[in-house]
Amino acid sequence: MNRFVSILLTGLICVVAAGQFVQVITRYVLELPVMGLEETMIYPTVWLYILGSANASRENSHIRANVLEIFIKTEKGHTLLAIVGEVISLAVGIWLLTWAWDFTRYAWRVWRESPTLYFPTFYFDVALVIGLALMMVFTAGHLVAHIRTLRTGVAR
Amino acid sequence: AETFKMSHVRPQGATIDVELRAYAAAVDAATNGNVKIEIFPASALGDYTTVQERVSVGAVDMATQPAAAAVDRRMQIASFPYLAGNWEEAKSIYGPGGAVRETMVELFAKQDITVLAAYPVYFGGISLNVDNPQAGSTEPNGIKVRVPGIKSFQLTGEALGYIPAPIPFAEAFTAVQTGVVDGVIGSGAEGYYASFRDVTKTYIPANTHFEVWFMIASNESLSNLSDDDRAAMMEKAVEFETTRWGVAEADQARNEQKLVDELGTKVIALTDAEIAGMAKKARAEVWPVVLEDIGKEWGQAILDKVGAGN
Amino acid sequence: MIEVAMLAIGVLVVALTLGVPLPYCFGAALAVMYFIGDVTMKGMMLWGVQQLSNPILLAIPLFVLAGTIMSESGIAASLLRFVNAFIGHVRGGLGVVAAVSCAIIGAISGSGLTGIAAIGPLLIPEMVERGYPREYATALIANSSILGLLIPPSVTMILYGWVTDTSIAACFLATLGPGLLIMLSFSVVNLWMSRKFPLILDEKPSPRELAGEVSRRGLVAIPALLLPVIILGGIYGGIVTPTEAAAIAVIYSIPVGFLVYKGLKLPNFLAAGKEAATAVGTIMVMILFSMILSQMFVYESIPQKMVSAIFSVTENKILLLIFINILLFLVGMVVNDATAIILIAPLLLPLMTAIDISPVQFAAIMGVNTAMGGVTPPYASILYLGARVGNVKVTKVIPPAMFLILTGYVPVVFLTSFWPDLSLFLPRLFGY
Ligand code: NA
Ligand code: NA
Repeated sequence: MNRFVSILLTGLICVVAAGQFVQVITRYVLELPVMGLEETMIYPTVWLYILGSANASRENSHIRANVLEIFIKTEKGHTLLAIVGEVISLAVGIWLLTWAWDFTRYAWRVWRESPTLYFPTFYFDVALVIGLALMMVFTAGHLVAHIRTLRTGVAR
Repeated sequence: AETFKMSHVRPQGATIDVELRAYAAAVDAATNGNVKIEIFPASALGDYTTVQERVSVGAVDMATQPAAAAVDRRMQIASFPYLAGNWEEAKSIYGPGGAVRETMVELFAKQDITVLAAYPVYFGGISLNVDNPQAGSTEPNGIKVRVPGIKSFQLTGEALGYIPAPIPFAEAFTAVQTGVVDGVIGSGAEGYYASFRDVTKTYIPANTHFEVWFMIASNESLSNLSDDDRAAMMEKAVEFETTRWGVAEADQARNEQKLVDELGTKVIALTDAEIAGMAKKARAEVWPVVLEDIGKEWGQAILDKVGAGN
Repeated sequence: MIEVAMLAIGVLVVALTLGVPLPYCFGAALAVMYFIGDVTMKGMMLWGVQQLSNPILLAIPLFVLAGTIMSESGIAASLLRFVNAFIGHVRGGLGVVAAVSCAIIGAISGSGLTGIAAIGPLLIPEMVERGYPREYATALIANSSILGLLIPPSVTMILYGWVTDTSIAACFLATLGPGLLIMLSFSVVNLWMSRKFPLILDEKPSPRELAGEVSRRGLVAIPALLLPVIILGGIYGGIVTPTEAAAIAVIYSIPVGFLVYKGLKLPNFLAAGKEAATAVGTIMVMILFSMILSQMFVYESIPQKMVSAIFSVTENKILLLIFINILLFLVGMVVNDATAIILIAPLLLPLMTAIDISPVQFAAIMGVNTAMGGVTPPYASILYLGARVGNVKVTKVIPPAMFLILTGYVPVVFLTSFWPDLSLFLPRLFGY
């Protein structure tokens, strides 16, 4: 799983870098315009952002400002705090997910197209709902793990 | 009272901003304060593509801006290069009852949007940070210009002899200033004065396209108004448009002069024959491609109505 | 409405304090605006996604990846050895090496973390061996690591330029002056501090030995030193846009890391790619929701209302600048740099315009303050990473870090606010 994620994310970021690089070469060295390159780059870019974020949820490495954690001394306190955090995340995340779903249905209905090549933008619009759904699944997983820790008293 | 949020694309204090605030005041008076219009300048509610979609779903009430073709590629008909040759033609094409105007009203309606007015802005030109000794020619000149990511502009740039480079708008000014590109295509004197002030050494009024904006409103928002208030808004919009058609040409001349007086820009006077040559080449090279994209028969029927290209 | 906005920000801070991941903290604030303030969510996701697809933001993952590759490949080590050849033997010289190396690395990476990640593991043990207290060495390198955000390129300046519609190239130059000044002040403070440490010094090399060492290490460092030249030369020489420069930095550093410095192998390259993508993913989803919140504020004209509320208290420029610096310091304590820029810059820009502070100078003010936020507890991501790298307790690093901030950093923060030329000289020189 980890290797697959590494290859996928590294691949996406390299595609993005290569696209920009080609843009420079064609403009500066070959003096040829390439039409539509920048609009195709949006696809790997948005997927890169969203999957990167989903992976952060998987690894539980989203940015947090654990201010309270510094003042809580016990293991149990930390676990309880983590549970509160995950419950808030889930509640808010699911509400956001409903709006992402609303947006996805809109994108499906109007079927927008990119300006020069007429690629359907739906294929990157849909990343949002998929990414948020993945984030919710991973967050729920962390919540379950924390609750187990609390019940058995064993730190993960 | 209802408050309508209206977006536009120019900074606070620009001509359009002043005119829209006057419109808002007129609507306020005509509806006895029932309809307030709050103006959001400088694309504060998003760029025009996003705003048009937000108007469509009723999240933003109104906007005055170019038509975006993301949802319906046929909307490119409004920015066909060299469709109108002069102001008179422009008015007959884009003004009330004009063929393109009627088409746009229908296309907007499909997105749950009502067109209240058209706003003629200017004939487009070419802004360069360098000299172009053969400004009137369409031979390849090796000058790189930034074009918006819109097919017809890219093709027009190429047809007129330039090397078009699609660079995001946000990076465009710096790109010209540092010399990544030597100029810009896709706007006109007023637009260049607003956004490319210090990098417009040469301005070529090549009439590349006729820039027309639309004052649009969300059908959902409009449905919240009483019939009288809605009628008053429409009526004031007609007055708004009529006034604009009366001053637009002079406004364009004033903006070109402003480039000369305030920025020391060299505005190159092209002959009618030179502009005709450009128009001929652009029509021959750009039109067939864009027509293919938007539906040949559909598009050709409108062009026939306009009587252009003969 | 301004009360609801304040409530939303309050909920945001509470969620942050509880340790909720940033994207959901913003989500909670959005929920307040939606359920209590009755602001529509309709079309907001559409708006957010279209903001994310702006090509300008692409520079962020690329500059972050370039930085990650740097720390993996040995490029950083060669730079470090090169700088060390000049001043390593001077009393307190290693501390100066830390500041200067972080500045040079800052000219390649756009993030504030690269310096500590790349230099920390090499230099902290070395400094400890030579007699510097471990917590001091860690604090110094973590503080210098901030230079990654002040020496161009910089992720925060890309964001600032993007949300305020200011030239990114000009914003880059605006923080360069303050950044160099901070490098200088850390060096001076360090030399003064070093008098008290029981340092073990190398014998002073003869001029000939010195020249030999400098040129030998310089030769090895050339491919690494070329990278800042390519990036900044490319941008200011009119060859590429900042985003394209970021791509070139990545494309250049991959073969250099694999073939020249040989520190880059397939496994750590893949790890670097994943790490950069994940770091960027967390930033971008946070940006998505914070941009929606910021749009809701615009929608309700909160910035204008805030300006008039503040102006009803005072219109005095000096008082306002002091107030803003204190505000930014407090904000920097609890949120990360990107968040602070996205939330605060659009809110305060109208106020700045009203008191005649140019957007480019404000870029520098926001830049130095938000960068400092990376080392001010309780939320001090750069300091915490430093503590991990330096293998010391966070509570031990905080006192020397605070001392360096107060003596080396805060003076520059105030100079940036009250001496416009510090931030505007370079942008003017380049015609912005
Ligand atoms: Na940097
Ligand atoms: Na902080």
